Amino acid sequence: MTTTSTAPLDVAVIGAGFAGIGAAIRLRQQGITNFAVFERGAAIGGTWRDNTYPGAACDIPSRLYSYSFAPNPNWSHTYSGSGEILGYIESMVAKSGIGSHIRLRHNITGMTFDEDTGLWDISIAGADAVHARAVVLASGPLTEPGYPDIPGLDTFTGHTIHSARWDHDYDFAGKRVAVIGTGASAVQIIPELVEKAAAVKVFQRTPGWVLPRVNRRTGALAKELYRHMPGAETLARQAWFYGHESVALGVVWNTPFTRLVEMVGRAQLRRQVADPWLRRQLTPDFRAGCKRLLMTDDYYPALQRDNCTLITWPIARIAPEGIRTAEGIEHRADCIVFATGFDVSKTGTPLPVTGRDGRVLGDEWRRGAFAYRSVTVSGYPNLFLTFGPNSGPGHNSALVYMESRIDYLVQAIGIILDRDLRILEVRRERQDRYNAAIQRRLGATTWNSGCRSWYLTEDGFNATMYPGFATQYRNQLRRVDLDDYTVVAREPAIARRVAPVA
Amino acid sequence: MATMDFQDMLGKIKDRQWALADIDWDAPGAETLTPEQHARLKPFMSDLMWIENVGARGFAAMAKKAPDETLREIYRYFHAEEQKHANAELALMRRWGMLDGDEIPQPNINVKLVIDFLDKYADDMSLSFLGTVIPMLEVALDGALVKFIMDEIEDPVCQQAFRHINADESRHLAVDFAVMDVLGHAEMRKLLIELVGGWVKPTFLIGVLSYMPLLNKMRDNIVAMGVDEQKLYSALERYRKVGERSEFARRLPMYQIVKLHGTWVVDRGHPYHLLADTLVKVTGRIPRRLLRKDPTWSKEITYTPAA
Repeated sequence: MTTTSTAPLDVAVIGAGFAGIGAAIRLRQQGITNFAVFERGAAIGGTWRDNTYPGAACDIPSRLYSYSFAPNPNWSHTYSGSGEILGYIESMVAKSGIGSHIRLRHNITGMTFDEDTGLWDISIAGADAVHARAVVLASGPLTEPGYPDIPGLDTFTGHTIHSARWDHDYDFAGKRVAVIGTGASAVQIIPELVEKAAAVKVFQRTPGWVLPRVNRRTGALAKELYRHMPGAETLARQAWFYGHESVALGVVWNTPFTRLVEMVGRAQLRRQVADPWLRRQLTPDFRAGCKRLLMTDDYYPALQRDNCTLITWPIARIAPEGIRTAEGIEHRADCIVFATGFDVSKTGTPLPVTGRDGRVLGDEWRRGAFAYRSVTVSGYPNLFLTFGPNSGPGHNSALVYMESRIDYLVQAIGIILDRDLRILEVRRERQDRYNAAIQRRLGATTWNSGCRSWYLTEDGFNATMYPGFATQYRNQLRRVDLDDYTVVAREPAIARRVAPVA
Repeated sequence: MATMDFQDMLGKIKDRQWALADIDWDAPGAETLTPEQHARLKPFMSDLMWIENVGARGFAAMAKKAPDETLREIYRYFHAEEQKHANAELALMRRWGMLDGDEIPQPNINVKLVIDFLDKYADDMSLSFLGTVIPMLEVALDGALVKFIMDEIEDPVCQQAFRHINADESRHLAVDFAVMDVLGHAEMRKLLIELVGGWVKPTFLIGVLSYMPLLNKMRDNIVAMGVDEQKLYSALERYRKVGERSEFARRLPMYQIVKLHGTWVVDRGHPYHLLADTLVKVTGRIPRRLLRKDPTWSKEITYTPAA
């Protein structure tokens, strides 16, 4: 075991994005104060710190894309931009007083569980290791920029920008810009780019379903109401919640309602795109919901601007001066924007995690990740995931799901500390039974209906999404049932040895 | 016929991509074209370029119908490659001084009718229909015409371009026939339902009436170029010969119909030609203003290697 310079923490939270901050606030609210939040970056905010490209916004209404325990009456619009969301995260930190727990520029390089002491041994790049009785792994899936597998990627001599690492110093005026990707970030970036650049070429592989997004400014009166009557805000949040829940009928499961969603998408396409060939190119050939739905009113009009061209030919290679497509033409560009999302690992872990008996989580997940209720994993005691396997929603706010996980893990950590446990570990058979049911239920969902998406592994295994309503997800995490877990108390000697600082 | 590994084929297709920029369109050799060839070649090349678009539109429809992602991706590439061939042929026309400014030459009426038909109805046709008719068009028209160019034109740049085109086309045909083989594995009941379902559509008749005069018209064009029409007939025969190698392709009712039609076309004494030649004459009189506007995708043809 590595020596440490400090006494063990009760909880180590890894990552200071939405999940890590939320977990920290709830831990503190439960009276757990011996914890630290480790953030490898120089600032908090995770995805919302990194995604600052022009037009970056959330496609879930802010009233719902926020924590119920940290209401914000000041949202400026129905859907907020990345800056406002980042501001919300920072204000949560300021109000909750967890700032002193956050350790920036602390890059965790690995962690190992010591069964004798019941402690996680956590290595940090360039710093002493720390020990913790429980770990909250709050590193998000949308962290590492993903680049497409295209030959010649390194040969391009112009400028390149990834949507998740925007270069705000680059001046697009008068430039020829190629955008690779037509997913959630691309449909937000492209309308902004066509305003600035001389020419924009959009390279599309598969078109997604685009639904209208009505984004209204929140009036001063409404803000006042939310400020003075928190009940009104809760009510508005509930309305958004159940509105999204109803969408699950068409988006999560492949049902007649799915056709209804597709009809809305087709109507949007017909309304906004006159040319039949362009419409054909923009019509998806998979069920709505199979890939992430795109919510925008600006994308189709932007594509039809005089300085914008949609290119659907397969990309053959990237050349020093541009992108060569399979129709034999080199599309010259001064700058390539990669709106290609993230390198979402569905089979590994963000850092090496060694559990009981030397088992390595990344190895166990090699053929597809699994966990119990997406929070705990058998063989890895006292470890809690905020973005565990099968935790993703397709129709509702990720923050609703996240809040359920946070409350569940805070409850579990409370049990570890209150009962002075050495081990709280989910039983393997419960976990297996849970996952068998999840995979069976996934069979009827749109995500498993035949398209390729970042939800699935190469083998078509879905380790990403939760096949149900948010209400069901929330209910299953309402209470920690100790029958699901193996519980081992600390021996007094060990307890003395690793006693936390008072 | 051995079953094709489509994943392996997709890898080959990706590896062997070429671009217009790989060819020096201003290299010497254009002068080897005789004035006589120059005059005859312009309408021939325009038709050829547009026939590439017939294939392109066919493959675009097949990409929507393909049963799995690998085949879908292959057809997406084939769609693009047909466009590339059209682009290269336009670049040759420009090299030979056959274009007036940015002019895109127009196709003959029969090619235009087939393009119109495919553009309007191909997306609604089944893969077994498209998968048997498109190979015939490829073998007969593309194959014969490309071979003719390679035999007759010495220009080294033209030879280089058509070597690339030929290599692409041979992969297209290999996949075409492998897919016919796969389609032939389906239950006869399903094949017959698709056949009847396809033929009872009134729109399909329009397709047949567009397709029939096309082959005869191209035969006329070949003869006008001073070439033995036997070249076209040999190409048509190839469809039959390759198809016959697969017992499963032979099971496709539509294959049998297309093959039968091919045997009529190559037999100049067959009464079929009374109808087909009449259709060539009739269609030749259709005023262009009655035809649909060119679809927007056809305006994407370009001779410039970089855009």
